[in-house]
Amino acid sequence: MFGSIRLIFTVLIISGIAGAGMYVMKLRADNATLKANQIQLETAITEQNKVLEQQKEDFTAILESNKKLNVLINTFKKDLADLDKRFTKKNRDIGKLAIERTEAIERIINKGGKNAARCIELASGAEHTEAELKATLKSEINPECPALANPSYVPHQ
Amino acid sequence: MYHINKILALALIVLLTGCSIGGEKKIKIFSLEKPREKLDYPMPTALQLEELKWIIITSENAQEVFKKLEEAGIDPVLFGITDKDYQVLARNFAQIRQKLQETNNLLEEYKKYYEPEEKK
Repeated sequence: MFGSIRLIFTVLIISGIAGAGMYVMKLRADNATLKANQIQLETAITEQNKVLEQQKEDFTAILESNKKLNVLINTFKKDLADLDKRFTKKNRDIGKLAIERTEAIERIINKGGKNAARCIELASGAEHTEAELKATLKSEINPECPALANPSYVPHQ
Repeated sequence: MYHINKILALALIVLLTGCSIGGEKKIKIFSLEKPREKLDYPMPTALQLEELKWIIITSENAQEVFKKLEEAGIDPVLFGITDKDYQVLARNFAQIRQKLQETNNLLEEYKKYYEPEEKK
């Protein structure tokens, strides 16, 4: 009888110790998992912040690029309007002028053609000459495309 | 005999559970992001245009112009356009130039956006 009670107690104590040990081990495993999760979350937050930062930079770059292209398109419109104005300013008739002052108009047209050809070269990516870059006076610029040919030239409004 | 049975049972338990001690090692899979190769085309070569000469011909100077051409050994023939068509031609060339500039600019912007210079 006494032997049986002792055996039951022994089994209970051993089971208790084993259970406690397993519980501690489970807690340690949970702790390790939570630590790993924490590291993962922190890494994810850092990565998300990087993505957000990159997105912000991209939006700024896109806005800047759009602005640049809009400026360019406005310059085109102005250049075309200027070209029309040169032909029709003060009711100018280039045909009549060519009859009256043939040689002078021929000179002007050849100079204009040369300037226009230079504009096409620059538009296709040709390097500017030093004179083109330094030009600030109206007499020094290429009037066919001043914005493209002479970046230092600021026209009077 | 009773003790031998106990020992055998214990040995059998150890034998059966022994393989699970330590367990299999977990496989770790790494994923490395490899950026796409850059296209890196050079920008198109700039144009080099040849010079041409415009001759204005009116009813008054026509004979003189043709005479000069003959004297210079050039065929006395001219391909003409009216003053209005000259304006149209000038406008058309301006538009072609602008389109060229716009396309080149777009190309540069795309290159700058998608293939930026590496930060050093």
